[in-house]
Amino acid sequence: MRKNRFNPSRFHMNQIPMYLVLVPLAVFMAVPIVFIINHAFKPIEELFAFPPRFLVEHPVLDNFTRLARQASAGGISISRYIFNSLIATVSVVLLSMVISSMAAFALSKLRLRAKGVLMEINNLAMMFVPIAVIIPRYLLVDGLGMINTYFAHILPLVAMPVGMFLVKQFTDQVPDSLIEAAVVDGASYFTVYRRIILPMIKPALATVAILAFQSVWNNTETSTMYTNKESMRTLTFYMNTLASTTNTVAGQGMAAASSLIMFLPNLILFILCQSRVMNTMAHSGIK
Amino acid sequence: MKKPRIGLVNRREMKGYLFLLPWLVGFVCFFAVPLVQSVWYSMHDVKVTANGLKLSWAGWENYRYIFQSDTVFIEQLSGFFADAILRLAVILVFSLVIAMMLNQPIRGKGVFRTLFFLPIIVVSGPVLERLVSEGATTVPLIETYGVNGIIEAVLPPMMARPLSGLFSQLILVLWYCGVPILIYMTGLQKIDGTIYEASMIDGANGWISFWKITLPALRPMILINGVYTLVFLATTGLNEVMATINDRMFRTGEQGGGYGIASAMAWVYAICLGIALLALMLLTKERKARQVAIQKSREQVELERLHAQRARGMKRRGGKRHGR
Repeated sequence: MRKNRFNPSRFHMNQIPMYLVLVPLAVFMAVPIVFIINHAFKPIEELFAFPPRFLVEHPVLDNFTRLARQASAGGISISRYIFNSLIATVSVVLLSMVISSMAAFALSKLRLRAKGVLMEINNLAMMFVPIAVIIPRYLLVDGLGMINTYFAHILPLVAMPVGMFLVKQFTDQVPDSLIEAAVVDGASYFTVYRRIILPMIKPALATVAILAFQSVWNNTETSTMYTNKESMRTLTFYMNTLASTTNTVAGQGMAAASSLIMFLPNLILFILCQSRVMNTMAHSGIK
Repeated sequence: MKKPRIGLVNRREMKGYLFLLPWLVGFVCFFAVPLVQSVWYSMHDVKVTANGLKLSWAGWENYRYIFQSDTVFIEQLSGFFADAILRLAVILVFSLVIAMMLNQPIRGKGVFRTLFFLPIIVVSGPVLERLVSEGATTVPLIETYGVNGIIEAVLPPMMARPLSGLFSQLILVLWYCGVPILIYMTGLQKIDGTIYEASMIDGANGWISFWKITLPALRPMILINGVYTLVFLATTGLNEVMATINDRMFRTGEQGGGYGIASAMAWVYAICLGIALLALMLLTKERKARQVAIQKSREQVELERLHAQRARGMKRRGGKRHGR
C-alpha cells in the first residue's frame, strides 16, 4: 500500500480495491443518520408498519406540528429551555477545553511532585461507572447551595476524565526540545502554553469539544437530579418528557421528530469541528 | 521522561500548580470526593429517607451478597468482559485498516473521512438507544443465513456466545470506530515519509514496513485507543452491567438492592476494568532495551537475507539492475 507514494504510475490501479472496501463501509456508517431523518417524517401508519421500513414513503410534517402544538400548550415557553441548554452547553464546552488543556500541560510537561498520583486517580475516575456517584454528587450540589442554578448544570460536567486523558496523551507527544527552546528565549509558562501547546494539540481539543458537547447536550441527569424548578431545566429533558408523557401512539411520532431536532446541533457542530480537526492534523508541526 | 530543567524548581512548581488548579478543584469536588464516599457507602446499608440518608454499618456484607446471592451480576460481568475483548480487537484492527486507507492519496478522501467520523455523534446519546430498539444495528443477512447457528454448532458455547453477539451487533461495533480512526490518523500523519523511502531502498516491501515502521510508531496511539474504547464500551448506556447497577440502586432492601449494594457493584466493576486496562498497558508497553537489541539483530538478519535474495535475482537476470 505504501508504494503508492513513490510509484505514481500504479496509483490509479490501486485505488479501485480501496474504493471497493471504503464505499460499502461508508454506506454502513451513514445508515443511522439516514434513519433518523427518515423516521422523523414518517406518518403514524408507517412508524408502526410491520415489517418496519427503513425509508419513508409518504413524508409528512405531522410529527413536527404535533410537537409544536404540545410545546405551546405547556406553561413555560420553549425558548426558556433552549436558552438554558445553550448556556449550559457553551460554558461546559469552553471551560472543559481550557481546563483540561491547562491541566494536561501541567501534568505532562511541568515538574510537579504529585503528577503520577493525580494521573492514576484520573484514570480510576475514568473507569468508574458515572451513575454510581449520583447520590454523593447530589449531596455535594445540595450542600453548595447550587440546586436550581446554572452551576448545577455546568460544574459537574466540566472536569471530564476521558477528555483529560486524551489531551494529556497528545501533550506528551509535543517535543520537550521545543519547550526548552521557547524557555531559553524567555517565554513564560503561559506563553509556552498558549503559543506552543495549544496550537499543537488542536486535534485533541476538537475531539474533546465534540465529546464534551455530547455529554452536556444529551444530558438529562442534571435536570432530573439537581433542579426541581421547571424553568431551570434543559431542552433535552423537556423533549424527553414530551415524548414519554403523552399517549404512546402520538408520542412515538413526536419522539422521532424531537430526536431529529436534538440531533441536528450535534451534526452541525461535528461538521464544523471535523474540518478543523482535519486541517490541523494535516498541518500540525508534530513530527 | 526527560523534563526541561529550568531554574528555581520550587517557584516554578508553584506556577505549575496554578495551571492545574481549576481542573483539580472540579475534579476533586465532582469525582474524587464522590468516589471516596461511594467506598464508604458500599460498606453500609443505605436507606434514602426524606431527611437524608440513613446509614448502618454492614462491613463486607454488600460484597458478599454480590458474589453469593445476586442472580445476574457476576454472570453479566463475565459476559461483558468476554464481549469486550473480542470487540476491542475488532475495533482496534478495523479502525487501523480504515485509518491507513484514509491516509492514502485517493480521490474523495474528505467525504470518506467525514462519513467515518459521523458515528461519533450517533453512538452517544438517546439516538442510539432508539436505533437499537428499532433493530437498525443488526445485519439482516447474518440472521437469515444462519451464521450464528453455524457458529454455535461448531464452537463450544463459551466462545460461541460472544462471537455470535459480535456478529449480530456488527454495525454497532463498527460505529464505535470513529474516535479510534481519528486518533490513528493523527499518529499516521506524524510518521515521516522518508523512513518508508529509506526502508524501501533497503529492500523492505509494504508488509515489512508496516510491521517494522507503522506499528511501532503507532504504539502509543494503540494504547490510547485501547483505553478509550474499553472505557467507552464499559460506560455506554447500552451496557447490561450498567443497567443492572442502575436498577439495583433504586430497589429497596427486601428485593435485594439499595444504594450500598449498587456502590459495591460499581466498585467491583471498576476494579475488574482496572485490571483489564493494566493488562492492556502491559501489552502495549515499550519493550525493554535488551529485547530491542535482539529485535534489531533479527532485523539485521532479515535485511541481509533480503539483500542476498536481491543479489541472486540480479545475477539471474544477467546483471540487469531492476531496483531504484
